[in-house]
Amino acid sequence: MKTTAISVSHLVKEYHGKNEIPLRALDDISFDVQQGQIFGLLGPNGAGKSTAIKILTTLIPPTSGTVTVNGCNVVSQPLEVRKNICVVLQENAVDSFITVRQNFLTFGRFHGLTKMEIEMRVEHVVEMFGLREVLNQQAMELSGGMKRRLQVAKTFFVNTPIIFLDEATTGMDIHNKRATVAAIKEEARKGRTIVLTTHMLEEAEELCNAITILNHGKIIAGGTTGEVKKMGLQIFYLRLKFVEISKQLEEALKHLHPMKMEISNSAITMTVREHSAALQALSLSQTHGSLTDFEISTASLEDVFLQLIDGKKASVQP
Amino acid sequence: MTHVFAVMYRDALIRRTSLMWLFFDMAVPLLYLLMFGVGFDKAVGMGIIINGSTVNYNEFFLAGVLSMSCFGSAINQSYGFFHDRETGIFYEFLTYPMTRGEFLLGKVLFQCLMSIIQVVITLTAAKFLLHIPLRFEQVPLTVVVVMVGIAGWFYALATGAFVIRRNDTFNTFLNVAYFILMFISSMFYPIESLPPWLRYIAYANPLTWHTDVLRYLTIGIGELATIGLEIGGFVIFLALSFYFAVRALKKAV
Repeated sequence: MKTTAISVSHLVKEYHGKNEIPLRALDDISFDVQQGQIFGLLGPNGAGKSTAIKILTTLIPPTSGTVTVNGCNVVSQPLEVRKNICVVLQENAVDSFITVRQNFLTFGRFHGLTKMEIEMRVEHVVEMFGLREVLNQQAMELSGGMKRRLQVAKTFFVNTPIIFLDEATTGMDIHNKRATVAAIKEEARKGRTIVLTTHMLEEAEELCNAITILNHGKIIAGGTTGEVKKMGLQIFYLRLKFVEISKQLEEALKHLHPMKMEISNSAITMTVREHSAALQALSLSQTHGSLTDFEISTASLEDVFLQLIDGKKASVQP
Repeated sequence: MTHVFAVMYRDALIRRTSLMWLFFDMAVPLLYLLMFGVGFDKAVGMGIIINGSTVNYNEFFLAGVLSMSCFGSAINQSYGFFHDRETGIFYEFLTYPMTRGEFLLGKVLFQCLMSIIQVVITLTAAKFLLHIPLRFEQVPLTVVVVMVGIAGWFYALATGAFVIRRNDTFNTFLNVAYFILMFISSMFYPIESLPPWLRYIAYANPLTWHTDVLRYLTIGIGELATIGLEIGGFVIFLALSFYFAVRALKKAV
């Protein structure tokens, strides 16, 4: 039987400015996260993702609604909630005056680890995130990417059942991004619940078992990653290769009203909404062009996301 | 207490990274006493009449120096929140498994430990360099009162740091607070010599209460009844400061 790690019910958060109408950052949202799940909270800037994370991590109280983390209420049992979580926030939050090793030491102490446990875990995460060379360097001397590595590495330093990662891989190079993704998967396999926000939808698609998409403080889609992607079953991605692309073909394809269309010297990539439009595009390519190769696939999470968030602004990009 | 110690440990690590910072933390009260105090002592010459007793300026100023160092330590410690907020680590702290009260207690206890060294250095210099007749039997109590003073001012200023989110605005706030609280108090001169309107403000100033208690403990000047009232006043000030600091910290995000 699955255990609910996080439960959010009718959550509302309003910000009250001076002499202003309250800004509703979260508008009656509800979702559950199961234990061991990698849950993606997605949405454009200002959608309410960070506000939701702040409430879930007890940084700010909700205006109304109920939120429990590992069975503990964020309003009435904030300390119990904090005992169950580990958080990577958007900022490169490191203790800049002290060394990388000392950052781990203090973090471990805050989480009640013994000196021996800290030493053992430092060895492990330092290897995992390639921090050995900078271990005795002051954190303020590290590059932005390195600071991010240190911050994320701390998450894998403790065994809290729930991890929150707010744009965790931002600023990391590809090698460390891969290491972080692998580490997140491994932790979930061990039974830790991971909540992440990211604007890298490929990453979310690769990592998440479940997704909730927010826009203007409301949930516009939610479910398993497969279920959310199914919303895009009527979206098709085409890659067409030609010897030469004629103006006539270009115009004919534009009449299919693609969500997205890019033309290079000998290839056209386009995203269309209907099954029939995909077939028509192929047919037109054969009739009006010298089609040499083609590829057709269903939509990626990114396409679904764009359709949900920005559907009305679908554009053609010649 | 694990988390309180963790906060203290972190502050100790940070303080250790700057020897100049550490030196000034320890030496500022001493330097004030030796430079400012000695200069004024020569200028005043005949001494100061307070509560019917005549004391030289060094004797009078010793309590002011101790009180001033408490205020200064609290300023330094509260300033740290701005750096932590800029780096983002401040917000991460607030997600650690500790209460807001434990976080603030750790901060103040570390500063209190530093103050013990400050007090020892200052009192040693007062006794052996300036030959101030100290009440040695009251030294442990003096240390306690210094700690209480640091706590009171730290919580009050921390409240300001959490509410005022801009570094430059906080800086202005501190300059004004520093100016008003220090100069309208019994720190530099007996308040009996002030004009009545200033005297009443000085009587209501917690810095006066703290300085008077320290003066009573170090050189025995002051009326016990007044000192008792001032102790009570400062304890209420400490309790209110702590309450508001925790409250402000809860809303600091």
